Amino acid sequence: MILRGIAGLIATLVLWTAVVHLFNVPAYLLPGPVEVLSRIAFLYENAKLLRHIGVTLWEIVAGFALGTIVGILSGVVFARLPRIERFATPLILLLQTAPKIAIAPLLLLWLGIGPTPKIVLIAIVTFFPVMQGMVTGLRYGEGSFRDLAKVLKLSAWQSFWHIELPSALPAVLAGMAVATTLAMTAAVIGELMGANEGLGYLLSSGQENSDTAVVIGMVVLLSLIGWAFYEVVELIRRRSISRFELN
Amino acid sequence: MGQSERMIDIASVHKTFVADHGTVTALEPVSITIRKGEFISIVGPSGCGKSTLLRLISGLDQASGGTITLDVAGAVRPVGFVFQEPVLLPWKTILENVRFPLDTSGVRRAQGDKTALDLIKMVGLSGFEKALPRQLSGGMRQRAAIARALSDDPPILLMDEPFSAVDLLTRDNLNDELLRIWQSTGKTILLVTHSVEEAAYLADRVMVMTARPGKLKCVHDVDLARPRGEDTKLDPTYHTLVAQLRRDLRTPAGEAH
Repeated sequence: MILRGIAGLIATLVLWTAVVHLFNVPAYLLPGPVEVLSRIAFLYENAKLLRHIGVTLWEIVAGFALGTIVGILSGVVFARLPRIERFATPLILLLQTAPKIAIAPLLLLWLGIGPTPKIVLIAIVTFFPVMQGMVTGLRYGEGSFRDLAKVLKLSAWQSFWHIELPSALPAVLAGMAVATTLAMTAAVIGELMGANEGLGYLLSSGQENSDTAVVIGMVVLLSLIGWAFYEVVELIRRRSISRFELN
Repeated sequence: MGQSERMIDIASVHKTFVADHGTVTALEPVSITIRKGEFISIVGPSGCGKSTLLRLISGLDQASGGTITLDVAGAVRPVGFVFQEPVLLPWKTILENVRFPLDTSGVRRAQGDKTALDLIKMVGLSGFEKALPRQLSGGMRQRAAIARALSDDPPILLMDEPFSAVDLLTRDNLNDELLRIWQSTGKTILLVTHSVEEAAYLADRVMVMTARPGKLKCVHDVDLARPRGEDTKLDPTYHTLVAQLRRDLRTPAGEAH
């Protein structure tokens, strides 16, 4: 599986190089892989590339964590108190259906140009699928578990901690896996809209300088980060599903 | 066993549901007194209210009228319940599942482990303490469910068709083990079943219930020696009783159920 993936990657690189050389594509349109790699190396040596990667990673991790926590908590509240859910649902849907690209400038106006508005934007997109997973997981918990909790006279907390939360975990993790790709998009949108650090910032300055190699290099780096991020969450999800999935 | 000591007193207990097209009677008034340490089987077709009766005794559902008195001297959890499905928590090991009632009532871990391990041994699951429920067969899971129901030592054990999902051979084994457990623990057991053979083989008394509306038709004393075993199944008294139970269950109009 992994070997075949690597083979596919190498094939793409070979094809890319071949196209550039065979058709004499000018470097300002499509630089070859070697040039892109050397631009990345140049940024690493002269433009604190690692620091920019670190900023973007921090935004993603912090925003994703914040969105997950808020999603789980609000999922519990909504599943338990349908009245609050009915009250909040239109607002949440409005926030979710609004194009993220339109919310980003607003957050930048309010929260400045640093990582904070990006973290909030990522949290907004992460929150929704996680909250939905939690509500679904809690609401459709098995009736027989409810009987067990009642026979054992469990307290609301015991029943939540030992039965409901673990039951909802597969749905929550599925929501988190969906949220990873959304979070990546939100991070880049936030950084493109206005930033002075991060991979999205490097990308947009590459665009301003017509430096195609930098733009492609940043796209590749962002893809790699997004892929790794998804794989980590997916691994946790698969590991836990064998244990937590209901029969 | 103090045969005269009263454990469960059911007086005119009935249950009606409000449905779209009026009220539905799930259970017509039932009255019966069950002695401490008695083994009662409840047999009847679907819709006769036998599960409803167990749920009312356990407090899972509220009766529409009548009274249920449990003489259990302040036990916090007076009944252990074995459901039709094992209802084990899939993310907990067998040991953790059996210990669950103890963990949630503040019993210390060491004490809980000791009790749970003894019960796991008693139901014949030694060696599977660390296994997850999904790794066990249906019969083994139901054994674990029985161990869990016994773990905080409730005086009354309610069993709602506990063996209906396992194959017949496993069922015979589980019946014999249930009798052994009952004899060593002295619990008062009420077991709901579809099977007249199972009902007669296990019980001191068999409650026969009929459907539409659900009601208690009659109660039979089972006059078979203890301990029971293969010989019981050859006993003419056993066969007479089983035949009688079948006749009782035939509805007046001869409907199939």
